[in-house]
Amino acid sequence: MWKATLKGLLAHKLRLALTAVAIVLGVMFVSGTFVLTDTLHSTFTTLFNGIYQHVDFEVRGKAAFSGPAGSAVRSPIDQSIAQAVRKIPGVADAVGTVTGYAQLVATNGKAVTTSGAPTIGLSFNPVSQMSSLHIKSGSPPTSPNDVVIDAGTATKYHFHVGHKVHVLLLGPPRTFTLTGIVTFGTANNLAGATIAAFDLPTAQTLFDRVGRYDAIDILAKPGVNTAQLQRAIARVLPPKVEVVTGQTVANEATNSINQALGFFSTALLVFAFISLFVGGFTIFNTFSIIVGQRTRELALLRVLGASRRQVFRSVLAEATIVGLVASVVGLGLGVLAAVGLRALLSALGISLPSGSLVFELRTVIVALLVGVGVTVVSAISPARRAVRIPPVAALSEHDVVATESSRRRIIVGSAIAVLGVIALALGLTKPAIALVGVGAVAIFIGIGMLAPLVARPMASVIGLPLAGLLGIPGKLGRENSMRSPRRTAQTAAALLVGLALVSTISVFGASVSRSATGSIDQAISASYIITAAGGGGQGQFSASTAGAAARVPGVTAISTVYTGEFKFRKDLSQLTAVSPNRLAQTIILRMQNGSGAPALTAGRLLVDTTTATSDHLVVGSTVPAKFALTGNTHMQVGGIFKPNSLLGSFLVSDKYFLSHFDNPLPVAVLVRSAAGATAAGKAALNAGLRAYPNLKIQTQAEFKASQQKMVNQLLGLVYVLLALAVLIALIGIVNTLMLSVFERTHEIGLLRAVGMRRRQVRAMIRSEAVILSVFGAIIGVVVGTGLGIAFAASLKQQGITDIVVPFSSLIVFLVIAALLGLAAASWPARRAAKLDVLAAIASQ
Amino acid sequence: MTVTDHVPPAAAADPGPAARAVDLVKTYGKGATVVRALDGVTAQFDRASFTAIMGPSGSGKSTFVHCMAGLDVPTSGQVFVGQEAIDQLNDAGLTKLRRDRLGFVFQSFNLVPTLTAAENIALPADLAGHKIDPAWFDFLVDQLGIRDRLTHRPTELSGGQQQRVACARALIGRPDLIFADEPTGNLDSKSSGELMAFLRRSVNEFGQSIVMVTHDPRGAAYADRVIFLADGKIVGGLTSPTADSILEQMKQLGN
Repeated sequence: MWKATLKGLLAHKLRLALTAVAIVLGVMFVSGTFVLTDTLHSTFTTLFNGIYQHVDFEVRGKAAFSGPAGSAVRSPIDQSIAQAVRKIPGVADAVGTVTGYAQLVATNGKAVTTSGAPTIGLSFNPVSQMSSLHIKSGSPPTSPNDVVIDAGTATKYHFHVGHKVHVLLLGPPRTFTLTGIVTFGTANNLAGATIAAFDLPTAQTLFDRVGRYDAIDILAKPGVNTAQLQRAIARVLPPKVEVVTGQTVANEATNSINQALGFFSTALLVFAFISLFVGGFTIFNTFSIIVGQRTRELALLRVLGASRRQVFRSVLAEATIVGLVASVVGLGLGVLAAVGLRALLSALGISLPSGSLVFELRTVIVALLVGVGVTVVSAISPARRAVRIPPVAALSEHDVVATESSRRRIIVGSAIAVLGVIALALGLTKPAIALVGVGAVAIFIGIGMLAPLVARPMASVIGLPLAGLLGIPGKLGRENSMRSPRRTAQTAAALLVGLALVSTISVFGASVSRSATGSIDQAISASYIITAAGGGGQGQFSASTAGAAARVPGVTAISTVYTGEFKFRKDLSQLTAVSPNRLAQTIILRMQNGSGAPALTAGRLLVDTTTATSDHLVVGSTVPAKFALTGNTHMQVGGIFKPNSLLGSFLVSDKYFLSHFDNPLPVAVLVRSAAGATAAGKAALNAGLRAYPNLKIQTQAEFKASQQKMVNQLLGLVYVLLALAVLIALIGIVNTLMLSVFERTHEIGLLRAVGMRRRQVRAMIRSEAVILSVFGAIIGVVVGTGLGIAFAASLKQQGITDIVVPFSSLIVFLVIAALLGLAAASWPARRAAKLDVLAAIASQ
Repeated sequence: MTVTDHVPPAAAADPGPAARAVDLVKTYGKGATVVRALDGVTAQFDRASFTAIMGPSGSGKSTFVHCMAGLDVPTSGQVFVGQEAIDQLNDAGLTKLRRDRLGFVFQSFNLVPTLTAAENIALPADLAGHKIDPAWFDFLVDQLGIRDRLTHRPTELSGGQQQRVACARALIGRPDLIFADEPTGNLDSKSSGELMAFLRRSVNEFGQSIVMVTHDPRGAAYADRVIFLADGKIVGGLTSPTADSILEQMKQLGN
């Protein structure tokens, strides 16, 4: 039996290859993700361990609570602690460090921006063995006018030792002399972040840390008992200050990077599994057809004494071999993809610490397990159908098709779809992402099982214009697609899933985009919005910007917007702050209860109506809250405002905010000009803010457009990742059409014999492909639109207030699907047209 | 295994007939549209004998052979292969029966296209996980004259060669009974003659039992006995037939 299975496989290498491609691509995605993130993980671990290798202890403020991605907010500590620590026997040295915002300005006058990484300013530790920065060329900063920068930025922006460098800071920008180029550990920079380091007193001044440190790095004397020393240090520390080992700091740094990497890896894996899921559909379809075509052969084996179990195993063995070969190939390609991606990241300026590729056993195991697993699971149903083939099918002259009752399929399919909808609904309301995923998978499987019901009528309608347009070839293509509704539906299923996901994202994205931007004119009354350029929308800019903007002639009102994390009751929430002075000139705040600006000025909290309802808050309610810097407090609700797309749920005055956050950087500055948004007004503002080249000054309309652009860029990225799933679906269509052409050799030969031209044969196959694709695309778009609306609706609380169905995009998807179907048909169509008429008629 | 009352147990020394059918009925459909494909067929096939079954299309000869081979289930009646009542067997038992005790030769050869001739011959043994008897294999291959074709695929063989490979496959396991369904239906007259001569020899020389369905009086003349079927009933029989006596009988039966 094994021999028959193996020989059968080898005899159909093309079929094998086309089936395997779906799995190869999926496994490549999985293993590539693993190799890339493992490699990054390993290099960052090595990097941080190296950096903190010689820092024995670090003294720092205790974190009140952890922010997102493990970053803790800590208060600065008094610099006198360093002197106390230095006196402890066993301490060789103790050096204070401070960090803050410092953004470089390139020689061409433009701000140096990153793609999301921070622009770090810090104090240079002169004790070289404790310093994370190593002088590569030049000398360390020693005077208030000195700066050293990272080698990555220096190379990219052509900075050389001795240059004057303009630096944007928390306060007004300043010019420094570049005295040295440094590396961060062994890396030229830290994953794309830019580094500017100053001598300690200068850094303290620049980052508003005079008399204070963010942390103190401690070097122990050789041979000292570290546990005892740590206890000794702890004894001299005031409350709310802690001492931890250098290893702890390294681990925390590694962990926070790894959390970010983990998110990145999860996101990629989600798309990898989508590809594999779609691949599963094409494998199911291919094996169904193969079993159908091998009915006679399998029945013969049964006559000759193959047991049901042997037939079942032979089909699954074929699937296992295909899955195994595909997984191994996918694994290899995945490693190459990881190498390529790393090179791509480098090319994008995200310099990564050097390190060899990490290829963990887990990558191999998961890749093989997933690849073989998906293939075998997809082949189970076709294998069961193979088992039901009666031996007598080998003897009858007509093909005996083992049919499964369609009633059973309808019942099972409906049940799975309904369970999927329930799981999805539960998952969305909870919210539980895993349940959403399971629900979506179940919905797709259920719909895949139900699709044959509508395949015949839909194929008939879709094919009608083709039949009219192309005559007989179109008519035959239509007939072929209607002949086996089940196969039509199965072939289209993969594309259905792909397009459903694309449509989901499209509907969801359009809703997000509209909700975020549609009501901007309802949210703010400012003439201009100032934000940071670059930094992927997360860029930072100086708090002194507001003051500079206020001095520009014609400006009548300024509001600096801050956001920060705080604990509202027990939940980590986002707090927004604005300036209450002349509030109405910058922000449209429609109050439902209480007062707006007066309440803010009085240091009260404003909440939006949604939060007021869900948290049972009224004007005058007092709520416990906690800030990282200042600890527990109580906030009094001074008013309830109608949802505002830019303000979030919790609003306080900038004054209140600044008293609870340590030197926050603004996220935006809103500017009202007497003349409104005019070209002259904008020019004046630009001129007034010339010292801050990292700013983006936009009118409301420009801001709206750039917000939309950001959403669209993100959507574009998701579409690219989904494209792989659609590609796999297309390979499935190519495969099915090839098998159909092979199956209908005799029939095509007959058509050719009675006078059908090659061109007409091609048109016939292409018509069938277009009908298949459009059929799958229509159902996919409908299902996807439903899913997208469900997702968007479930996030109403999170600010998706408008649900938009982008009909024009959805129609474009249908057209693209039809064109892709046409492309998928080209090879099978050529093959069909090339058939030798005589041989085709002779073949049985 | 149960043997019903009206079938006397065979004497220990006598292995009994190769197969028997007792009052076989096979109906298709229900009510007014019922079709009786077999209508009470009782027959016995002796060991080391060659039986031909003839009859017009739709006479039930294929249904009869399918029921005898355990490929189809009769509506009523019993089939014995050796002493074993096969209606008692489940799918696994029937599979084992076909694999170990029956051989098949088909009109359309039915070789597995991806396997070589040698591999096709060994297939039943492979499926059973048995080793084939190399001496018997060599003997059959030489007798059938296919030694130089062993490494070829079925598509590289002529029809006659393919059917000889199928014969070797049927004989390799020394089955109790071989069912041949129109084995010469797709062969030219020369190949047909050679094949029938070989089947005849296998009965005479190796004691093989064969049941063959055929349309061809010349082929049937190689048999020890001919059974005529019409409308699902046995309507006649001949022993030691000749082509002429068969034609004569067919004429009498209104063919």
